[in-house]
Amino acid sequence: MNNPNSKTYNTQSAPHIPNTNTVAKVMLTVWLALIPAMIAHVWFFGTGIIIQLNLSIFFALMFEAISLKILKKPIKLYLTDYSAFVTGILFALCISPIAPWWISFIGMFFAIVVSKHLFGGLGQNIFNPAMVGFAVVLISFPQSMSVWLPPHSISPYAFSFVENLQAIFFNQFPDSVAFDTFTQATPLDSIKTGIGQQLSISEITSTPLFGDFGGLGWEWIANLYFVGGLFLIYKRIITWRVPAAVILTTIAFSLPFNLYDADHFIGPLQHLFSGGLMLGAFFIATDPTTGCSSHKGQLIFGAGVAIMTILVREFGNFPDGVAFGVLLMNMSAPLIDRLTIPKPFGGKKHA
Amino acid sequence: MVDLIQPNHLHSFKGGLKLKHHKNDSLNNGLSRLKIPDDLYISLRINRGNIAKPIVKVGDSVLKGQVIAKPDNTRGCYIHASSSGIVAAIDERETASPDADISTVIHIQTDKEDKWIKLPLQESLDTKKIDAFTADKIITAIHDGGLVGLGGAGFPTHLKYSNGNKQKPINTLIINGAECEPYITCDEQLMMDYADDLIIGSLLLMKAAGAKNAVFAIEDQVGGIKSELESKLKERDITDISVVKVPTIYPAGGEKQLIKVLTGLEVPTSGLPLDLGIIVQNVGTIKALCDYVTHHKPLVERVITVAGDSINKAQNFIVPIGTPIKYLLEQADCQFASTHRIIIGGPMMGYAMPNSDIGIDKTSNCILALTEENTQHHGETLPCIRCGECVNVCPAELLPQQLHWYINGGNLEKAREHHLFDCIECGACAWVCPSQIKLVDYYRYAKSELKYLDFKRTKSDEAQIRHEQREARIERLKQERIAKRKKTRSRTRNKDKMQQDLKAVLDRVNTAKETKDQLDE
Repeated sequence: MNNPNSKTYNTQSAPHIPNTNTVAKVMLTVWLALIPAMIAHVWFFGTGIIIQLNLSIFFALMFEAISLKILKKPIKLYLTDYSAFVTGILFALCISPIAPWWISFIGMFFAIVVSKHLFGGLGQNIFNPAMVGFAVVLISFPQSMSVWLPPHSISPYAFSFVENLQAIFFNQFPDSVAFDTFTQATPLDSIKTGIGQQLSISEITSTPLFGDFGGLGWEWIANLYFVGGLFLIYKRIITWRVPAAVILTTIAFSLPFNLYDADHFIGPLQHLFSGGLMLGAFFIATDPTTGCSSHKGQLIFGAGVAIMTILVREFGNFPDGVAFGVLLMNMSAPLIDRLTIPKPFGGKKHA
Repeated sequence: MVDLIQPNHLHSFKGGLKLKHHKNDSLNNGLSRLKIPDDLYISLRINRGNIAKPIVKVGDSVLKGQVIAKPDNTRGCYIHASSSGIVAAIDERETASPDADISTVIHIQTDKEDKWIKLPLQESLDTKKIDAFTADKIITAIHDGGLVGLGGAGFPTHLKYSNGNKQKPINTLIINGAECEPYITCDEQLMMDYADDLIIGSLLLMKAAGAKNAVFAIEDQVGGIKSELESKLKERDITDISVVKVPTIYPAGGEKQLIKVLTGLEVPTSGLPLDLGIIVQNVGTIKALCDYVTHHKPLVERVITVAGDSINKAQNFIVPIGTPIKYLLEQADCQFASTHRIIIGGPMMGYAMPNSDIGIDKTSNCILALTEENTQHHGETLPCIRCGECVNVCPAELLPQQLHWYINGGNLEKAREHHLFDCIECGACAWVCPSQIKLVDYYRYAKSELKYLDFKRTKSDEAQIRHEQREARIERLKQERIAKRKKTRSRTRNKDKMQQDLKAVLDRVNTAKETKDQLDE
């Protein structure tokens, strides 16, 4: 029989030459794609966002580590996949730069512990963690969530870094200015209140809070999300399907309303460039874990997110609806996937 | 009949990978004939479980080209001794097959004289003489020569040409010289060194298949071969064979993918290229056919690439079938100390061998010796994040992440619904997976498990039918018995009546008698 002195070799299965792709690389590329928008955020709304990012990331990693410890999973392995890190970033980009610190704490608790680890951890979650966290704090603390800063060009008072820290941690604001003068509602929020006060959209958007297409400052951040998203498509982290479906459906679905009554219904450009739609289209609805896997399914998913977002913005109580759109479509994703199983190679009818 | 292939108008298949091809080393060093090793381990297992029956005994001396095993069914093939010597053992050993399956192996101790049972003819066949061959004669030669698909699948070649399969006339013969896996260059080497033999082999196969035309498919990254082949074809005034370069995208050399690239047609799910009027044959098989028909040399040797980062001198060898891997690696100056994995086949679909004493098979096209650092994964396996990169690269247009999800959850029937059985196990999904999941392992497991469950189900269905038939039989017999009993009972009942009638008659007679007697008195 076989020579007993013969060396035995490793018999792992193919492929034998591995690729260098890792989950960590995927996550870090997402982070990289967000950097331009983050810089714009700092430019328009001050240094508050930096503090919020650090807080969210810190709490995300903290809850991740605690959950892993309790679940007896390898902590270092899962912390270095950077998925919690990205969740923290996405959450921070959705909240106000001067939101109190416990907003991130509560948001990250629901994102990481409830929506991720209670569902089985990485890759097993049904709902997008950042959006679960965001929806929880939005519904529970609407006051803290809606107080934003105006873009620096129209702001009567620019917060310094220390003042931002004081506001976030101790709820202390500079004595010299009145609370109302330096805070401002988000553009979509002011449209909602404006319509409530019988103002027309053109009247509302003629205020300095609005720029060329969307909210002042917001439209630039949205542009940079768009650029970052194109970078992700180029890097093959996401495909064009979900963002394209979201953007095109937004235009197609909001245009008839807008044409019907431009005074009460927001136009497509305003929809795209105010609020969280661009972030949602490229960075949140594209989350593969909670989205659809088939190509056709991804188109349906993106279209669903856009329709839900517009319905919430136009007819709901909340100024923005991206988070709700994403969460509702997350729920529908398994069903969409089951109904859109693609035909395999050779399974199509020949002409 | 229209030409299926327009060389200037190629198509593409979905998915696929661009891989570093690592081919230059072995091509630059050329082809050389391996010296006869001391021992040959010839596996009798061909094409998934068809085992030929040995017709030699331990201690017999055999000559090169002598038949040592015969098929016991039509799906098998003949196996010939690849050198002269003595049969030292016929036993169960690991073979150069997936998972190094144990199978019957004939161990020949060679006498190094390499004596032929019948010396091959030296001169090669003239193109004109091909007319003398009939299709049947060529098909018989394919079977007698022990030919199997040398591209890796080992499908017995004669089956492609047997008349039972020809529902559709064959239009095109595709000669597959587009080896798409990295490192493997044996096909290119053959085309460079044996262009004449390949042209003759192709003409023979076209005749066997009744094909109108043939196409050499070669990779676009290998230079020189196309013009070489074309000038040889021109010399012979052959116009029905063309040479087409296909883009080097893994797995373009896969049968179904190659057909798609060349013709734009998709082989139907669970169908064969024959359904489209196409036969695909590896260049190695064509060379082997030419060897048998023109030189009377059966399939006793093949070209193998020896490469990998543990090999100092990567090159192609002409190797007798059954040569131990170790001997082959020694000839290519392998650094055994640093070798971590030995692979038969390419890095994408090849299988790792547990030791180097295994003899190479008719289907072994490449031996890779790789170091640990080259095979190491980047980080540990993580759960699937459903990133969908596998969907982008899957040439079978499946949803690999969904298959993985369902198989992981034990829901194998769902995996079948997601067309698990259309998976060609090319490994593209596993290669791109950022979570480093060995996806193909899951699919292989699920396929074999489902096949087993189906087998069990047909068995139990059969048992159910048998049971029902038995019940029906028992019931029928019971009914028959009851009917019989009823019949006899009614007959007995009649007897009673008859007796009563008889009694009544007798009574009447007796009464009459008595009355008569009384009157007489």
